[in-house]
Amino acid sequence: ATAAPTRSPKPRPFDLKTYWATLIAEINQKLDEAIPVQYPERIYEAMRYSVLAEGAKRAPPVMCVTACELFGGDRLAAFPTACALEMVHSASLIHDDLPCMDDDPSRRGQPSNHTVYGVDMAILAGDALFPLGFRHIVSQTPSDLVPEPCLLRVIAEIARSVGSTGMAAGQFLDLEGGPNSVDFVQEKKFGEMAECSAVCGGLLGGAEDEEIRRLRRYGRAVGVLYQVVEDILEEQTKSGMSDEEKNKKKGKSYVRLYGIEKAMEVAEELKDKAKKELNAFEKYGDRVAPLYSFVDYAAERGFTFGGSS
Amino acid sequence: ATEDKEGRPPFNFKEYMLEKANSVNAALESSVLLRPPLKIHEAMRYSLLAGGKRVRPVLCIAACELVGGQESMAMPSACAVEMIHTMSLIHDDLPCMDNDDLRRGKPTNHKVFGEDVAVLAGDALLAYAFEHIAVETKGVSSTRIVRAIFELAKSIGAEGLVAGQVVDISSEGIAGVGLEQLEFIHLHKTAALLEASVVLGAIMGGGSNEEVEKLRSFARCIGLLFQVVDDILDLTQSSQELGKTAGKDLVADKVTYPKLMGIEKSRELASKLNKDAREQLFGFDIAKAAPLIALADYIANRQN
Repeated sequence: ATAAPTRSPKPRPFDLKTYWATLIAEINQKLDEAIPVQYPERIYEAMRYSVLAEGAKRAPPVMCVTACELFGGDRLAAFPTACALEMVHSASLIHDDLPCMDDDPSRRGQPSNHTVYGVDMAILAGDALFPLGFRHIVSQTPSDLVPEPCLLRVIAEIARSVGSTGMAAGQFLDLEGGPNSVDFVQEKKFGEMAECSAVCGGLLGGAEDEEIRRLRRYGRAVGVLYQVVEDILEEQTKSGMSDEEKNKKKGKSYVRLYGIEKAMEVAEELKDKAKKELNAFEKYGDRVAPLYSFVDYAAERGFTFGGSS
Repeated sequence: ATEDKEGRPPFNFKEYMLEKANSVNAALESSVLLRPPLKIHEAMRYSLLAGGKRVRPVLCIAACELVGGQESMAMPSACAVEMIHTMSLIHDDLPCMDNDDLRRGKPTNHKVFGEDVAVLAGDALLAYAFEHIAVETKGVSSTRIVRAIFELAKSIGAEGLVAGQVVDISSEGIAGVGLEQLEFIHLHKTAALLEASVVLGAIMGGGSNEEVEKLRSFARCIGLLFQVVDDILDLTQSSQELGKTAGKDLVADKVTYPKLMGIEKSRELASKLNKDAREQLFGFDIAKAAPLIALADYIANRQN
């Protein structure tokens, strides 16, 4: 599906699939290099197992690079942070899957980390991936491209996003909250990472404060949109799901709470909202195209790389 | 009281620790506020504010002042290392790890808040430590703050704290664990964060590379010292005296210094490490080095 912004028709359709595939290949290679196996091997294997999982869509790192390039930033400035986003994202997912949390036996189409490495190793793999992300940013970002105060803003942004008022809060309410917590859970668990990725890219690309605020709203809308559409698709193919699985999903699904029609309305609103924020970036010409196509991808799932997030 | 040759009163360690621990506790109290979602912040505060001796934060501040910095420059880092220490204890106590019910004389975090919240509270403290340093450090150049973040991240990840925990877990109940492996465990599990505490303080205080490296060596010595003494205490003290389950190394069939070399040789090793630590401080202003010398003595002679 091609983006169709209301004004200024695109001179040529932006090929998201090629753009994304190229970036993913680069990011995968950098992630592979970022976690070399050494003594004690088992922990590095556990970390690599989740971070390098086949079928990962790398949405956070791609969004980070894309947002950086929008403002004319060099993608080399964004790569270390892009990798770090994937590391902390993986760490959160590993911990979310634990038996004492969502108790998920699989992730991205393969057995979850603790299923393979044991609960103790899975906790430690997560504990090691968070700091590795921060270390990767400060040690790998080219100092001639990014000033240090900017690095500190990026680190604060990521730490806040995964912390007790961000993704950890979303996971907590997902576990403990009643059905009314669904909006909050969606925002925090799914909107937060996309928001953080867009904002970090903007910071690294040298965006103005007002532009950062736009990226924030845009990222959050795209992240939640992706999940609402996921809920709708899941509902449409739910025949394969056991009653137990359906019940487990109940608290966190828009569709379960509001019904499919309302969920589709919400999806439409989020899509408009995200695109509206991008209108202000039209002055950057072609470079805004990848950000539009993110919205369409989240809304329509125009293609897949196999597996789910 | 006896005075030193320049007419100063001798260093009062108790007073020093009390004063520094008070300012650290005040800073910690206001670092993690109670806000929604309440339960996760309660869980973070429960363990973070559970007392404890605040050895790591005080080391951080003492190193900062030794190289000529102000306490305020190191305070966010001091809080951060305590957050990380607390997080590692919360996760370490989980049923899938050491399965401990008691910590600092209180029920462990997961006993009170549940395992799910304990995992999340630990993760949140870990992330917050980095946010706190990045946002709250004042009067220090960005270059130094970035360098401190690198040191902290390195010391707690798979090359540091986590490496120690992994080797510790995998050597439980295994015969033939030697001194070398035991030292690896402790240099990573305990010494790495003590090292980071001292190194962060020295960096924030404006220390030269040479000063930072000398203090790093000092910290590695007291890190090992800390663990040798811990092993001895686990064998000789009661749970009540320790404020945590005693004798658990024996029960878990963990390798310890007393087991490998006997209790007398372990005590000799502790004295040697303390002496080595002190030698690293030669060349610094002797009066300014007094807190670190006294901290090393305290680690060597503590009873819990």
